[in-house]
Amino acid sequence: MRNSWLLAWREFLERWNNRSFRWMLILGPCLMVLTIYLLLLSGNQGTNKMKVLIADPANLLEGKIASNPIENVQYFFYDDYVELNPFKTSPKFNEFDALVEVNEKVLINKKVFLFYKESPSLALKMKLKFDLERRVEEVMITQFTTMSEEDFRSIKQPLNIDFRNVNDPYGQSSDEVGWVGFSLGYMMMFFIAFFGTNITRSINREKSSRISEVLLASVRPHQLMMGKIAGNWLASLVQLGVWFALVGIGLVILKTWIVPEFFTPEYLQGVQVTGSQLKELGLEANAPQNDQVQLVYQRINYLWLLPNFFLFFIGTYWVFASFFTVMGAMSGDHSDGQQFAIPTWILLSLSIFSGYNAMAFPESGLTDFFTYFPWTSGMVAMVKLAVGVSPMEYLFLCVAWILQMVVGTVCVVFAGRIFKQGILSFDHKASFRQLAFWLRKS
Amino acid sequence: MIEVQELTKVFHQKVALEEVSMRIQPGQVFGLIGPNGAGKTTFIRLLNQIIAPTKGSIKVHGTSLNVQHVRSFGYLPEERGLFREMRVLDHLVFLGKLRGLSKFESNKAALDWLEKFEITSWNNRKISTLSKGMAQKVQFIGSILHNPEIVILDEPLSGFDPLNVDLLLEQMRNFKAEGKTVIFSTHNMNSVEELCDEVALIHQGKLVAKEHVLTLRSAYKSGNFKLRFRGSKMAFAHALWTWFELLTCTELSDSVYEAHIKSRGDYAFNQVFERLSEAVKLELIEEQLPSMQEVFVKLVTHEK
Repeated sequence: MRNSWLLAWREFLERWNNRSFRWMLILGPCLMVLTIYLLLLSGNQGTNKMKVLIADPANLLEGKIASNPIENVQYFFYDDYVELNPFKTSPKFNEFDALVEVNEKVLINKKVFLFYKESPSLALKMKLKFDLERRVEEVMITQFTTMSEEDFRSIKQPLNIDFRNVNDPYGQSSDEVGWVGFSLGYMMMFFIAFFGTNITRSINREKSSRISEVLLASVRPHQLMMGKIAGNWLASLVQLGVWFALVGIGLVILKTWIVPEFFTPEYLQGVQVTGSQLKELGLEANAPQNDQVQLVYQRINYLWLLPNFFLFFIGTYWVFASFFTVMGAMSGDHSDGQQFAIPTWILLSLSIFSGYNAMAFPESGLTDFFTYFPWTSGMVAMVKLAVGVSPMEYLFLCVAWILQMVVGTVCVVFAGRIFKQGILSFDHKASFRQLAFWLRKS
Repeated sequence: MIEVQELTKVFHQKVALEEVSMRIQPGQVFGLIGPNGAGKTTFIRLLNQIIAPTKGSIKVHGTSLNVQHVRSFGYLPEERGLFREMRVLDHLVFLGKLRGLSKFESNKAALDWLEKFEITSWNNRKISTLSKGMAQKVQFIGSILHNPEIVILDEPLSGFDPLNVDLLLEQMRNFKAEGKTVIFSTHNMNSVEELCDEVALIHQGKLVAKEHVLTLRSAYKSGNFKLRFRGSKMAFAHALWTWFELLTCTELSDSVYEAHIKSRGDYAFNQVFERLSEAVKLELIEEQLPSMQEVFVKLVTHEK
């Protein structure tokens, strides 16, 4: 055990002393925070100022539109039809950013097209929709009913059918949260692929440099394998830990100093649509904070997800790393290692697919299979844990974790045996026949 | 004592070592000689449990070879290997710790050895910056850092310049003086002659001979003597009669000659002395034993 630890520590120091490893400790989280920042911005990209020309040949809107005009949006009325080509090319319409066509049928089919030259931001779209919908409603009420505006709005809500899982009757989970689980699983696989291939490379290197012969005179082969796995695991944990910590700090910095406006109820005040106004129109789903902000800052249960992420990272890393050690033990040189890496990459891809499958078809038989298949269970677990699981489901995930640990241990013992038997097969491609022979021999 | 019984190793139907049995006494310097591919390295790897035997057993001090034994050995493999990115001192400390030393002990032993080899200036150098010979020196130190009782060296002299060969031989002499058992394979027959108490010749996986160096050389003596005498060259030649053949005779000074003779039968030293002392005044008689190089060639050629 002491020697395994010594080997692990040496392996860790080798990673740590690598300059690119230390750079990635800082650069990785910075890139992630930048990605999150762009994600947040994506909810508000596009122009925030617009001059809108409303072509209203029937004068339905009577030259009126906004009850509370603001500087960002200016409406101009035109009492004739406007074709798209002249709107695009004629100097007469140069100053306008968008064209809204309001014809006589709008009161029947309630369909309005807004043609823009530059896409408006999400907030501005909401403002335009709000203004037009409100004005058309006023016209409809005047022309077709004797009701007050308040009465009309209270009965106009369409039937809203929401599809929900029987295990999630309140719709607490969602695709977005599932994607968060998938992303965490993806990150897990990224780290495993990165550090796992290091294990194969390291074994190959030691075989080539023949240091393994010196090491094997001091340690048992499976201890050597354990040392490699543990050393790389330690390095990956350090990197993950630093990444999570820095990303956490980055999120706080984003919220406090970089984009604090995303977190205030007045987020959309640039176009002056308040929460109460949205509610009035039945648009409260588009709350003042955009979906991404809500997702990143409110809907992810970090205290639940992160400890479980580390737990399943251990299991998944163990089962993959042990497989990588088998590959390293089997291969005679670097090119051989690449050849043997193919099955590992297939498993990694399968794991990614299993995560997607768990999101799309959470109750399918295939998802059940992937839950217990050691090389995919980590990924499926992350999706399931993000979406939410019952205590019984959590228990089953723990069983899958134990299965990962058992399979990983068996693989490490196998790897040790193969390594010991194949130690003299430097620069020698191991055939499956030979592999079977080695296993039988040991 | 190391006792090997019918040790056999077969690699994919190729017999690398076939029923080799021998005993290596404690405190001996034991040489393993044989042509390339004879099975010396396989034998050494089996001693270090790098590979498992197909058949046979190895006992150390009466008990079957186990991990603790192997861990206590000092082992320098034929194929040299170090972690290229590590620094010399760190690497040595790491190897020492692997062999059971504490960090302090390992560090102290490493520094002592670096000083003994006058290479303390390498402490902070990366292994990748060392030449092959330098790296071999570091690896040699790494293999004996834990002060092992049994030192197993596979071709320790290969790749070294004459100065470093001397340095290593000197070190092996020290091991012998300290009562350590040294097992080493080599093609350097001078070192075998000079250092080894016993040698084993392995050829085509089989143990061809295992003897004390002198016994082995004597076994292959060809009856050659070197003499220095004072007197008449003619009288000397007559005294040889039909029993000895005069190979060379050189006058060193006035009536002082040095001659090389070859016995035509199995005549012993005293017979030579008796026969010649009547004719001339003998100042020196020395039986010329074959070198280990000659013995090696004879043994291998004979086996062929």
